[in-house]
Amino acid sequence: MRLSGEIKDTHRLGAHDHACWVYDDPAEFQAHAVEFLTAGLAQGQRVYYLADAGMHELLQVLRHVNGGDEALRRGAAQVHPIRTQDQALDPAEQVDAYAKATEAALADGYTGLRVAADETALIRGASRIDGFAHYEYLVDRYMTCNPFASFCAYDRTALGAEVVTQFACMHPVTSVGAAPFRLHASDSAALALCGELDLSTQDLLKLALERADPEPRNGELVIDASAVSFIDHRSLLLLARFAAERGATALLLTSSSGPARLVDILRLPGVRVERIT
Amino acid sequence: MTSDAAAGHRCFLHATGSYGSDAEFLSLVVPFLQDGIASGEPTMAAFGPHKRQLLRAALPYADVTFTEDTEELARPAAVIRSYRDFFAAQVAAGAERIWLAGEVPHPGTGVPWDWWARYEGAANYAFSDFPMWGLCAYDRHTAPPDVLADAERTHAWLITADGEYLANPHFEDPADFLRSRDSNYADPLEGTAPAAELHAPSAGAARRAVAMAGTGCRLHPHDLHDLALGVSEAVGNAHQHGQPPVQLRIWVAADRIVATVTDSGSGPADPFAGLLPADRSTGGLGLWLMHQICSYVTMDRHMDGFTIRLIAGRPVLESPR
Repeated sequence: MRLSGEIKDTHRLGAHDHACWVYDDPAEFQAHAVEFLTAGLAQGQRVYYLADAGMHELLQVLRHVNGGDEALRRGAAQVHPIRTQDQALDPAEQVDAYAKATEAALADGYTGLRVAADETALIRGASRIDGFAHYEYLVDRYMTCNPFASFCAYDRTALGAEVVTQFACMHPVTSVGAAPFRLHASDSAALALCGELDLSTQDLLKLALERADPEPRNGELVIDASAVSFIDHRSLLLLARFAAERGATALLLTSSSGPARLVDILRLPGVRVERIT
Repeated sequence: MTSDAAAGHRCFLHATGSYGSDAEFLSLVVPFLQDGIASGEPTMAAFGPHKRQLLRAALPYADVTFTEDTEELARPAAVIRSYRDFFAAQVAAGAERIWLAGEVPHPGTGVPWDWWARYEGAANYAFSDFPMWGLCAYDRHTAPPDVLADAERTHAWLITADGEYLANPHFEDPADFLRSRDSNYADPLEGTAPAAELHAPSAGAARRAVAMAGTGCRLHPHDLHDLALGVSEAVGNAHQHGQPPVQLRIWVAADRIVATVTDSGSGPADPFAGLLPADRSTGGLGLWLMHQICSYVTMDRHMDGFTIRLIAGRPVLESPR
């Protein structure tokens, strides 16, 4: 079972989890990264630490991980500096790279791969934002059925509140208050939604849907909305329109009675609701 | 027999007539229904239990469809919707005219009037595309004077005690009628301090405030949920279409919750908003939704702007101002 919701620390994150941490102070992220990677080593995973810094600085952080020095020596822990790049990101290629690294970790006898990455540098520059957001959805889809876990951090001071919210909402798990709702991959649906969706989240939902670009199957875009605590008719119509643009109808799976009632009363076209328990 | 003046009427004919006793009620409504039955066209009666019983006794074995008392028929927006569906189905099945006699709730029957007055006005537009003849019967002893006055302003035809159809000289253009009236309704609770008062709340904060208020009340969870949805929409509309400041106030009694959302704008421009579905491409579904899920909705323009009032539970009659 993957974790979905808000976290105050990384202790509950497991082998398939994908979390976003929004920070104002890099030291705060580093402390949680150390906590996350320490737990990974204890669970027999290979761990990576990535940030926009020199090797020396990265190794300094890893020293705080329990058993970090020893893990570095035997290849259980690795550090990778990341830099702002000009060329557009290829989301599928990026996922492929992590898939290969996960397979390599398994082949080397580890239980999986766990990555703590400050991704701030990767999305500096407007040209990379859409691609990287699509990557977040694709990599999330990979994580649903492979032992790859990631703790992604974004610097609010550097990127601005609006941009970090746009990225935070594309993770199943976030730091407290980082996103008003969450859109992510699911092993049983084209996408999953969590939280509250109303007028205030309309633009963000549209953006997240377009960036995730989930594919309908057999004329239906299946949306796991079991963790949606509120959805208004505007958001339902938005999902219907998004599906219609891809030649499909939206099928919302939910355990609450609210969405079906809205569709019924307002006769919303292009969206169907199925109750699940 | 209908009089010559109305006989050639092919589209919606909205008529009213009044009565002062059960006997007068029957002599008003029975001939109307008999005309429908005799024509072989669909004939419907929408009355409360007592009147239904009178009509069934007066018209035994007659082919009249009687409506049942449902929650849906207690809300005008839902009535318009379900009648339109019914009429469309009848026309599709080949009906050339549909006969419907009914009565509209008012304070004399224990129900606040405002949204039913708006219903009577909006019906002229809402049913205009159907070949329906409708008779709205009013009890002149129980209906207050303002109700009878509004009935006169909203029906193009009057049916007299002799069954004669007269063109009504007091009939007003429905849009003008709707624009000219404010509800002037207030729940007596509004004279007390509100249980909650939120300034510029988000829709989410408004939903939580309603849920919180509901803990002090015997309302069914379903009704409470609907009120939270309605208030969420009202606050969303105030932010999107109205003018700041937006203010939400909530009052709680054992049997009902009253919520008002005020902004300093001038309210919806469409006089039919709320009772009829708005065009989906332009939005405006929210008001229509509120009217279908709340047990009472009023809209007022006043010196400070616009206030929409939503009630869950049993609304009480107008308190004198």
